[in-house]
Formats: sequence, C-alpha cells, structure tokens
Amino acid sequence: MANAADAHHDDHGHDDHYPGFFSRWFCSTNHKDIGTVYLYLSMFAAIVGGGMSWYIRLELAEPGIQHIDDFQFYNVLLTAHGFLMVFFVVMPAMIGGFGNWFVPLMIGAPDMAFPRMNNISLWLTFAGLGMLLISAFVGSGVGTGWTVYPPLSSGIYHPSAAVDFGILSLHLAGAASILGAINFIVTIFNMRAPGMTMHKMPLFVWSILVTAFLLLLALPVLAGALTMLLTDRNFGTHFFDPAGGGDPILWQHLFWFFGHPEVYIIILPAFGIISQIVSTFSKKPVFGYLGMAYAMAAIGVVGFVVWAHHMYTVGLDVDTRAYFTAATMVIAVPTGVKIFSWLATMWGGSIDFKTPMLYAFGFIFLFVVGGVTGVTLANSSADLVFHDTYFVVAHFHYVMAIAAIFAMFGAWYYWIGKMSGKQYSEGLGKLQFWVFFVGVNLLFFPQHFAGLAGMPRRIPDYPDAYAGWNYISSVGALITAIGTVLFFVILFRTYAAGSKAEQNPWGEGATTLEWHVPSPAPFHTFEDQPDMSGKAPAE
Amino acid sequence: MANVRDKNLKTAMVLFTVVAGMVGLAFASVPLYRIFCQVTGLGGTPGVQASAPEVKTDTDFIVRFDANTNPDLPWKFKPVQREVHLKLGEEKLAFYEATNMSDKPITGTATFNVTPLKAGQFFVKIDCFCFTEQTLEPGQTIDMPVTFYVDPEIYNKVNTRDVKTITLSYTFYPKEEEEGKVSALSQPSKAGEKG
Repeated sequence: MANAADAHHDDHGHDDHYPGFFSRWFCSTNHKDIGTVYLYLSMFAAIVGGGMSWYIRLELAEPGIQHIDDFQFYNVLLTAHGFLMVFFVVMPAMIGGFGNWFVPLMIGAPDMAFPRMNNISLWLTFAGLGMLLISAFVGSGVGTGWTVYPPLSSGIYHPSAAVDFGILSLHLAGAASILGAINFIVTIFNMRAPGMTMHKMPLFVWSILVTAFLLLLALPVLAGALTMLLTDRNFGTHFFDPAGGGDPILWQHLFWFFGHPEVYIIILPAFGIISQIVSTFSKKPVFGYLGMAYAMAAIGVVGFVVWAHHMYTVGLDVDTRAYFTAATMVIAVPTGVKIFSWLATMWGGSIDFKTPMLYAFGFIFLFVVGGVTGVTLANSSADLVFHDTYFVVAHFHYVMAIAAIFAMFGAWYYWIGKMSGKQYSEGLGKLQFWVFFVGVNLLFFPQHFAGLAGMPRRIPDYPDAYAGWNYISSVGALITAIGTVLFFVILFRTYAAGSKAEQNPWGEGATTLEWHVPSPAPFHTFEDQPDMSGKAPAE
Repeated sequence: MANVRDKNLKTAMVLFTVVAGMVGLAFASVPLYRIFCQVTGLGGTPGVQASAPEVKTDTDFIVRFDANTNPDLPWKFKPVQREVHLKLGEEKLAFYEATNMSDKPITGTATFNVTPLKAGQFFVKIDCFCFTEQTLEPGQTIDMPVTFYVDPEIYNKVNTRDVKTITLSYTFYPKEEEEGKVSALSQPSKAGEKG
C-alpha cells in the first residue's frame, strides 16, 4: 500500500539521484522540477507583461501623447499585458508552480498522477507564450483587449493573422491548463496519504482542487468560442456576424461564461496560500476549516451563474439585470466568510510578522478594498455609469491582479527555503514588501477617483482634468517597479548568499507535510506514504 | 500498484468526458441562444405569428421605421412611411422601398430588431420580406411589405407599460456567394420574388 503510487520511479534508486541537465529540465516528469520551471516561466512573463504596463503608465503620466503615437500599438500593449498577466504569470505561478510543488507534498503523494502529462502541460504553456509573443510581430498585432470582442477582433478590423496567433496561443495555454486540471483532480482524489481524508487536506490543496474544477468547466467553453471566432475569421462562418445570422453578443456571453470563473481561477489558489500563511504565522489552526473549504467551493459554483454582470450595457432587460445583480452580490457572502475566518485565525494568535505574513495582511487589505468596489459595481444601474471607466480598472487590479501578486510573493517567501534550501534575507524581504505595498496602492487607488470622474479605459490620452490622479498613479507605478527590481535582487541574493534553510524555519505553526521533509525537498519524497490516520486536519 | 494506476486512468477518463461535454455545450449554445432569444424576445427579437389576435383595444401606439444598408450592398433602402399610428392588437401593413443601384442583379437578406429591446416580444410579425431573400435586377425598384401587430399584453406588463413607441429596424446585407454556409444559418425559403 505504501508503495502503491510510485510506479513511475522504478528507475531511480535514491532520493537525490538527478538526471542530466537536458533530461532533468526539458523532459522532466518530476513535480518539483516542473513547478520550478513554471515559476521561472511566470517570472519571465511578469517582466514582459509588467514592462508593458509601465510603458503604458509612462504614456499616461501626463495628458497628451508623449511616447506611444501609434494607437494600435497602445492597444496591442494593453491586450498583451492582460493576456500575459492572466495566462502566463498568475496561472503558471499559482497552479503550475506552487500547485505542482506543494499539492503532492501536502497530501503525502510521491508525485502527480500523470507525470508525463504534467510535462506536456508545461511545454504547451511555453508554446502558448511563444505564440502570443509572435502575434505582436504579425501585421498590426492583437489590439482587441483581452476580451477579444467581435467585430473588433473580426477580419474587418484585424485583417492580419495576429489575432489568429493570439487565438492559437489561448488554445495552447487552455489545453495545457485543462490537462493540468485533470492531473490535479486525479492526484487529489486518488493519491492522498492513507488517513488523509478530504476533510483533513490543507486548504491550499482544497483551493487547487476547486480551481481545477473551474478550469475543467470554463476553459472548454473558451476553446469552443475561440474556435468559432477562428472559423469566422478564416472559413466564412457567421457565428458572431449579423450579416450571416450570427450575433456578436453571443461571443460576450460565451467569453464571460469562461471569463468570470477565470477570475476565481486566479484568486482561489491565492485564498489557499493565504490560509496556510495566516495559520502558520498565527501559530493556530485556521478558524472554521470546513467553512473555509466549502466557501471556496461555493465561490466556484456561484461564479458560473454571474457572468452577465460584465455585460450590463449590452441591452439586457431589467429582470435579467436584477438577477445578475443579486447573484453577484451573493458572492460577497462566502468571500466574507473567508475574510472573517482569516481575521478570527489571527485573533488571539501569537502573530509573527515575517515577510510572508506581511504579504498575507497586504492581500487581505487589497482584497477587501477590491471587494467593496466589486459590490458597488455589481449594481447594474450604477454599473451603467462605471462601465469601461478607470473605476473598473482600479477594482479588478485590486481584487484579483495585485491581490494575486501579493499571494504569489507571500508564497515565494513562505516556501523558498523548502524549494531552494536557501533562506531569504528577512530585512530585505520586509523592505520589499513595504516598497511594493506603498507602490501598488499609490498606483491603483487614484484610479478610483479618475474613474469616478469619468476617465475611460483603454485610451492613450485624456483631458487635462484627469492629469493629477494620473500623475500620482504613474509615480506609484515607478515605486512598484523599484519594489519589483528589489524582489529580483532578493531572489539572486537568496540563491547566491542565502543562509541554509532549516527543515521547518517557521516553528510550531507550520504543521503541513511539506515541513516534514528536509530543505531543499529531495528529488523524490513520500515514496513511502505517511500514515495520517488519527491525526488532526493539517490546515 | 496497478490498481491505483487503473483508478487514476478511470478518473481521468471521466474528467476528459466532462471537458468534451463542455466543448459540446459551447457549440450547442449557438442554436440554444437563438431559440432562447426567439422564445423570450430578449435582445429585441420580434415574435412571429400567423395572424393578429381577436382582441382589439383603443390604446394608441406608434411604430417607427428605420432602414440601414451594409456598405457592401449597392442598394438604396428606405421605409416608405416614417411611422404609423395604430391601436394595440391592430394588424398593420407597411412598406419599405429598395433600389438596386448597380448594373448587375444582386440578392440581399435583411436582419431586423426592435427598440426598445424590452418590447421585442410584444412586436409580432405576420409576414415580412425579411423572412426570405430578395433579388433585385439592375436598376429595379421594389416595394417590400411587412405585416405586424403590437401585442396588447405590452400594456399589462409593468416593465413595458411605459413604451408608447416601437422602432422597427432593418439592415440589408448582400447574400454571400457560398450558398451552403449562409443557408445553413438563415434558412431562406428561396421564394425570392415576394416584393
């Protein structure tokens, strides 16, 4: 029984037997190595996608046109920024990176259920990233926004093959994520250590499980819609073309049926990470463990029936909008349960303000600010005014973009000792947190005011009236950039001169199974699965 | 050892089936969406009936007419009358006029909707040139009829009671060369010479 699931490792005799460079990193079937490559992929994409956003902020620092006089190029920048950050930064890091690294470790499994399929997912993601980068150099690029609405994305307005490359990029990234999701679900269902019941799994594992189900149900719909768009563009079909009996609004329904669960795909793993960190550094089990797990499941379910709140302005009738308003507000209940439980976990705990815990605090603050504006935007009548303004930009950057980035930074500081065997510098980590925290708030908070004053999204220029808040926002972007550079300094310093990480650097609060293996985690772990019967839930 | 692998493969097969099902659902959404709009009148989709109801009312109502032409179609297309006054439930006949400005015969099809969008389900067509394709010889001008009524229910529903005017809008597109692709979607009955 104990050796039941390690059939794939017959050829490796020892825990520390590493294959050569090429077979280790390119042909890898090891969940830890694949996770590491995903993290590097994410960092590369973050530099590219972040660079684009800083270029955008540079242009928007003052009214008038300073740096980007080709407006289609501006559209290409903001589109690629969205695609990169969603599909090639957050998803690879949270699910591919930390998910691959720590789901098998936390459930006491020797590896993922299908290690070779895991490798396919990794390289399909790379191929998708390559396609997206190529699209920028084809014709006038993809200037559609990440929502790719027809008719802007149709042959009339984007005649070059750039949009086709973009579509194929999303197809590849989507296929990679679907395969990854199947891998995670099978692993979590079938390969838990004996005695680790579903209700004993760490909350990070729960979050990846719910995320995997969302991927499984949402991404095929995107794939179908993208295929229709591809045939509309190239093979004369009329799915979204009214001239042939189609309807462009259908694209919006299909896109957002995928797109809304997609934002939960981004934020749910962050919930899991934050639960682990808050519990560790408060030295207490998570308050309301089952409530936390099922709140995530509820968010996943409700996330599939609220998609039209992205489309209040297309002419939905008043009853439909009333339904989507109410359904959207319902989501505030399970997310409220989560915020409450994190605070209740900290309450009375012996809190240790290490860098990961600071990032957890930062995450909770950002998520609450973004959640409050989310409830505002859920009102369909108010949204008619907010739609496509910077208020929306500020909202979603708070609630899912920088909140997710905070969770990723927190996870990196939390687990880097386990992953690399080297510990980061606590002083530099705290400095990086404060620089980044001040930067992103200065960057995104003023956008609320610019948006309320009516500043539209996706426009490279604006009237002088918006100049003040935009200038502050761009200064915030500069501070955020300094914080990002500081992170990479810390990363290199950790590898080059980090102190040796202990098996458990966090003390009594860190109870999950990854802290029961040495640091760095050996190449093979849990070939003999631990017996978890009779032990407390490992939250 | 083998039984965990079998269990894994079995679970994976179930999950792959779910993925295939969701892809299928995405494509099934195309006809389902159309049927949904036709049944509920959402998005300004007018209804179609064989004849007007027996109920006549004294409530005054205005229907306005709007015409658009795709730039690829060299036709002049306009309503003969800007608006008609009618009672709720009353059957009315109105005409549009189209002229082929080019020197070759051209076939066109019209799409339509009504605004306000919420009134779609109460605007009912009995017969319309838009049900079929229209072919115009070079220079030919035809009058194209549309027969319709406004369902008196519009006055009984709280959401639509404020509507006193409906605008009926058409957009004419050239019919594409590829026969099969267009007809699969718009199902023309080939009775082109109605006008």
